[in-house]
Amino acid sequence: MSERPRPIEVTDPVTITVDGRQVEVQRGELLIDACERNDAYIPRFCYHPRMEPVGMCRMCLVEVDTGRGPALQPSCMIPTAPDMVVETTSERVTKAQDGVLEFLLANHPLDCPVCDKGGECPLQDQTMAYGPGESRWVEEKRHYEKPIEISPLVLLDRERCILCDRCTRFASEVTDDPLIHFINRGSNTEVNTFPGDPFSSYFSGNTVQICPVGALTATPYRFRARPWDLERTESTCTVCSVGCRVTLESSRDRMLRINGVDADPVNWSWLCDAGRFAFEATNSEDRLTEPLRRGADGSLEPVRWSEALAAVADALGSADPSSVAVLGGSRSTDESAYAWAALAKGVVGTDHVDAQLGDGLPAAVFDLPGATIDEVCRPGGTVLYVGPDPKEELPVLFLRLKHAAQRDRVRIVEVTPTSTSLTPYSAAGVRPRPGELAAVAEALVAGDAPADGVAGVSADDLRAAAAVLGAADGPVTVVLGRANLAESPQVVLDAAAALSALPGVRFLPAVRRGNVRGAVTAGMAPGRLPGGGRLDGDAGWSGVWSTVPTEVGADAMGILAAAADGAISTLVLLGADPLRDAPDRALAERALDRVGTIVAIDSFPTPSVLRADVVLPAAMLGEVDGSTTNLEGRVSRVRPKVTPPGTARADWAVAVELARRLGATWSATSVEALRDELVAGSPRLAGTTWAELEAADDGVLVDLTGGGFDPGTPAPVPQVDSYSLRLVLSRELYDEGELLGRSESMAGLSRTPTVGISVGDAERLGVEDGTPLVVRGERGSSTLPARVSAGIPRGTAHLVHRLEGSDPITLLSADEVACDVRVELA
Amino acid sequence: MGYLDGFAVTFRKWFGTRSDTGRRITVQYPEETRPKPPRFHGRHVLNRYEDGMEKCIGCELCAGVCPARCIYVRGADNDPEDPRSPGERYGFVYEINYLRCIHCDLCVEACPTEAITETKLFEFAFTNRSDAIYTKSELLVGDDGRPQQLPWEHWGDGFDPAEDTSGWMRATAPSGDASFEGVVAWSGELGYGVRSPEGGQTLEQETDDDHDDGHHDDHHGAGH
Amino acid sequence: MSDAPAERTGGSGDTPLIVSSRFDVPEAHTLDVYRNSGSFPGYAGLAAALDRTPDEVRETVASATLLGRGGAGFPAGVKWGFCPPGVWPRYVVVNGDESEPGTFKDRLLMERDPHQLIEGALVAAYAIGAAQVFLYVRGEMPHAQERIAGALNEALAAGLVGRNIMGTDFSVDVVLHWGAGAYIVGEETALIESLEGNRGMPRLKPPFFPAAKGLYMQPTIVNNVETLSNLPWILHHGVDAYRAVGTETSPGTRLIALSGHVRRPGVYEVPQGTTTFRDLFHDDRYGGGIRDGNELKMFIPGGASAPWFFPEQIDLPLEAKPVGAAGSMLGSGAVVVMDETTDAVEACYSLVRFFARESCGKCTPCREGTTWEEKILERILEGHGRPSDIDLLLDVADNISPGPYPVAADPEHGLEAVPFPPKQTTICPLGPSSVAPITSAIRRFRNEFEARITRRDLIPVAAAGSGGDGV
Repeated sequence: MSERPRPIEVTDPVTITVDGRQVEVQRGELLIDACERNDAYIPRFCYHPRMEPVGMCRMCLVEVDTGRGPALQPSCMIPTAPDMVVETTSERVTKAQDGVLEFLLANHPLDCPVCDKGGECPLQDQTMAYGPGESRWVEEKRHYEKPIEISPLVLLDRERCILCDRCTRFASEVTDDPLIHFINRGSNTEVNTFPGDPFSSYFSGNTVQICPVGALTATPYRFRARPWDLERTESTCTVCSVGCRVTLESSRDRMLRINGVDADPVNWSWLCDAGRFAFEATNSEDRLTEPLRRGADGSLEPVRWSEALAAVADALGSADPSSVAVLGGSRSTDESAYAWAALAKGVVGTDHVDAQLGDGLPAAVFDLPGATIDEVCRPGGTVLYVGPDPKEELPVLFLRLKHAAQRDRVRIVEVTPTSTSLTPYSAAGVRPRPGELAAVAEALVAGDAPADGVAGVSADDLRAAAAVLGAADGPVTVVLGRANLAESPQVVLDAAAALSALPGVRFLPAVRRGNVRGAVTAGMAPGRLPGGGRLDGDAGWSGVWSTVPTEVGADAMGILAAAADGAISTLVLLGADPLRDAPDRALAERALDRVGTIVAIDSFPTPSVLRADVVLPAAMLGEVDGSTTNLEGRVSRVRPKVTPPGTARADWAVAVELARRLGATWSATSVEALRDELVAGSPRLAGTTWAELEAADDGVLVDLTGGGFDPGTPAPVPQVDSYSLRLVLSRELYDEGELLGRSESMAGLSRTPTVGISVGDAERLGVEDGTPLVVRGERGSSTLPARVSAGIPRGTAHLVHRLEGSDPITLLSADEVACDVRVELA
Repeated sequence: MGYLDGFAVTFRKWFGTRSDTGRRITVQYPEETRPKPPRFHGRHVLNRYEDGMEKCIGCELCAGVCPARCIYVRGADNDPEDPRSPGERYGFVYEINYLRCIHCDLCVEACPTEAITETKLFEFAFTNRSDAIYTKSELLVGDDGRPQQLPWEHWGDGFDPAEDTSGWMRATAPSGDASFEGVVAWSGELGYGVRSPEGGQTLEQETDDDHDDGHHDDHHGAGH
Repeated sequence: MSDAPAERTGGSGDTPLIVSSRFDVPEAHTLDVYRNSGSFPGYAGLAAALDRTPDEVRETVASATLLGRGGAGFPAGVKWGFCPPGVWPRYVVVNGDESEPGTFKDRLLMERDPHQLIEGALVAAYAIGAAQVFLYVRGEMPHAQERIAGALNEALAAGLVGRNIMGTDFSVDVVLHWGAGAYIVGEETALIESLEGNRGMPRLKPPFFPAAKGLYMQPTIVNNVETLSNLPWILHHGVDAYRAVGTETSPGTRLIALSGHVRRPGVYEVPQGTTTFRDLFHDDRYGGGIRDGNELKMFIPGGASAPWFFPEQIDLPLEAKPVGAAGSMLGSGAVVVMDETTDAVEACYSLVRFFARESCGKCTPCREGTTWEEKILERILEGHGRPSDIDLLLDVADNISPGPYPVAADPEHGLEAVPFPPKQTTICPLGPSSVAPITSAIRRFRNEFEARITRRDLIPVAAAGSGGDGV
């Protein structure tokens, strides 16, 4: 099977004998792994290095002699001990393996030609390698209805199931979604869901990957190809910022499947279903495939690249540099971000560049002392979790945190506006009122609280949380993210400033978009230069580029505000959609109305793209070459697998071409050259040259901290209006965003929008689940059914961004630290 | 004496288009055709079962085994209400590029359902490349179990690919029955239905009897 | 098997009744009768235990060599000593999931003398310092459940269970838990899984030896009902009185559930080691002879999982060691007698079918192998057998339990005994148990199997008419 044994460091060696050879292994490690590491692969079905062994399939039986004579033992359950003598190929072992395979095949249908797993099936492979030549089974095989849909993404064929307990263990152990289980007994045992309760887990696709037979198949891949006509390449997922390692698999130049790769520091072979299946969007009919330009009649019309690029070069070159702005770039590669930073800052000479849209966290969070995921999940450690629901925004980080809390004694203190998926695994939790996070952070650091509490959090809850922090063994690590789009990101910075007082504290910035960290590192933020340099310090880029801006530019909201005032003549949208995502809809509308020339470089016709004057089609994940930087600062390769549709190009290629047309002295002609130029000019990116990244499967960790964290001007504490509810606007994994909304299998999985209110507020209003409520803000209102939840604190209303039929971002204004809404009966 | 042997052949052929046996072998092609050997490999057909269901299940084994990479197959889910083939999957796309095909017959041997077999037709010449790519609708036998004649195919001199099909052999295990391992069984099969491989071409002549006494039906039954 | 005739118990003047002394006493399940009847006054054993330190109680039980009565025959006192020191809390689990075909002794103990069981469990809890006692009673025994529940309520009211038992510092909770009807839960690790609320499937030992990592991963002592029921008598009468019964290595008595083709089936308490199977079958105190004067054909000495014995083994004593050496086990004390009218193939099929139905589905060899064996036997009985099926059965059996399977000696065929226990490719012994009837029957009665396959007069008419599917 493809799983590799979990990497270990041999700290306590013992000597055992494997097939007559003396080998040194780690004391207590499982025999099956120890043997595999020493070139004695033992066949297995149920054992998975990332899950607890169960010893169920009996395929890994080997003869083990611990001094009491050799006996057949399941090697997946036996820890190594000194002087063990193991035979993995003796006659008795071979007979036992042969017997187990014959048993497994007794009821297994021989429909390999139809089965999606055929060709990459561990049962097939091991039958060839270890099994009997033929079956003596002449009885009727087991029959079940097949396939049955256990979730919109996963189909179950119980006839093929060999009952290895992998999917069921995964569901109950790894994700805590115990929605599939064994039922019945003996040879009638089957895996199934509970009636009317589908396997709706964000991680269901993993069960398809780990199934050792074709019992679980994924609808997006079902019957699309056979393993022998798939081509694969290892890459990194950029759907969120965790940066899971994946294999991209294609056939006939079409992406068909993504599987997880076991990267020990990151994803442990798991993927979320969004990361696994969102590639379908790349095959979408909606893709932009050719450049468009607004014609005389005002409509967008296809043009040749040369014409489109000339128009863009003209718009960039003719404008005053301070009236040019670039928004976006956090979904591309490091190299594309660098190319655009170089174009904007080094050629055009503007610093109005922001990779985000005001919906993430300011670049300053990357100046905080950094922690890796492994450091956050250090056994026995203590974690302060400030951020969004990790399962909704960074799902695999949630799996790591959950594992740490459940199995590695990590104590989590949760500081979130509502309860999250992490709440059941947290040692303590407080729910600060939106806008007042910093005060709660201060109280936690101080370890005490006034009797009437802080920011809506009771003194008892605060003390309990502070006690967990106080009892920490070693320094606390903070996961720092933005839980609430309706809250100014400055509030998070203020909280981080307060938490910096914790001794030895380190931060993991839980930004959401795929490559925010890489884009900021490449200079796509106001005031920043590639490699962590600042405009005000001398980073040496003036020697590389034609020019370097002298004045610190505006961030995304500042750019939009300037545009609304008519101060921006050319606005480049680099995969950014301010009309949908900027947390101030009215401002974004006014901005796009008044900008002279809008240039959009994107893969899909988003609302903002449709307002552009020139549209350049961009290649997307699976089509571009380069590298990406995950939330920890881990730089790893992103590899292309298929060619972009039409004439779509990678972002960096557009930037390089534009630089050439603008007559710049700076030019790099390949993605390798861009990478090496970026690294050469950035001492702190040492070790991440193209060649070095190619050699590092798990990526290279880059630490940019040390620039000094400047939280900026603290946000004012908003007044509490006792007639209103404070808005919490969060995201969910399944939304109607550009990727999932255009993935055939994922579209439509998003939830029906609701307004979440506390039990207390529901009683006050006299509503229950489903009662229609009007959410009224200063800038608009919408009617949504109520969702009453004990996880929402009193005085809070909870809405979700980008669900079908609701557009709560219209309620927000960039000027406000927090947003108050009235919630009334419809 | 090496090279003189070669000249001998040349001269023999020069003085009369006669075979070694003295029989004249030149025929007036295309008006006249010579009978083709039993296992002559010609263009393919996709077969059906008696009830009209397609035999192809879209498993791509033919495409996988094809040394010339001339076969393109894509499977799809059968509509349970109106299935195209028995089971869950059917061949949604099936294309053979005859500019590449070397007629090695490995596809026929790989096919688990005997869906693809060959006729002896080799007389098809195209005037453009797209004609050379036979699609599924062109390869599939009709409702009468007979292959379709395409405009550029020459079925001259009473030649009918449905009658004079290419015999194919399987040297391993017909219907998955391991007791046939090593025994060459073969079938001149086309069009409709499931036929057991015919005996008569076994590796060892003395095992002939074992295969002619009606055992095939049993073996076939046990394999499913 | 048959439940109805289990009303009579043996016993005579020469050996004391240790656990079954109140079987024939009316209303013995009530506290009053329990205190004033039987071979010791009720709760006197507990009182005697509470007078000593827990270590002394454990010493007492260890020196009595009280062998476990659940099947494995491991000394209870030694087992208690396996609890790792200093690890708390600990639990006592009473295995009342008696479901081996042919076994019905624990049911009588629970129905007729529940207080004796509770008292024994309390002694065990005191000895190991358990925080809680879990009484796991088989789901299909509602009467036993009611009796135990009633007894527990009485005991609680009388201050014998709960806080400060008998006025001492000793406090322990007793929880009554009803099983959900799976044979495999009689296996101790599966029973623990079931108690935890999971699907009853065995855990692998090591590492999950209950005494070290049992219920909720805490040290847990799982004892059989009969084992615990012995404790009050031992504590009250002393070790010497106990060791005076039975033999040196297997002191005390055993409850034997005798069923099958004897005149007087029932539960009998017999001294260990000094009674032979011949006594058991033919003595008028016990079986009273084979029914209808028939000849003995074979018998199962220790429940459905035990390899069969034949007339040659009838003089073996009822003691674990000699029975094990002869190729079987005493197991749960269920002796099933089969006379000459029994069809070995049918008997084999009926036992194998039970194991196939009850396999939990965890280990592949047991899950698939037992069902395969059942299907082959079914085919043979229906007249579709093939000559190769007999060796196929043996080879499937060998893939579940590799190596020579325990079997009784057969002098006629020159076969020597293979001693118990069998080897296994599975976690628990259920799979290998299903092999017992197959190897026993085929080695001894291969001709009966062959006749089923080849003789047309033995093949059912319908099948014979349709002709075999020929190989």
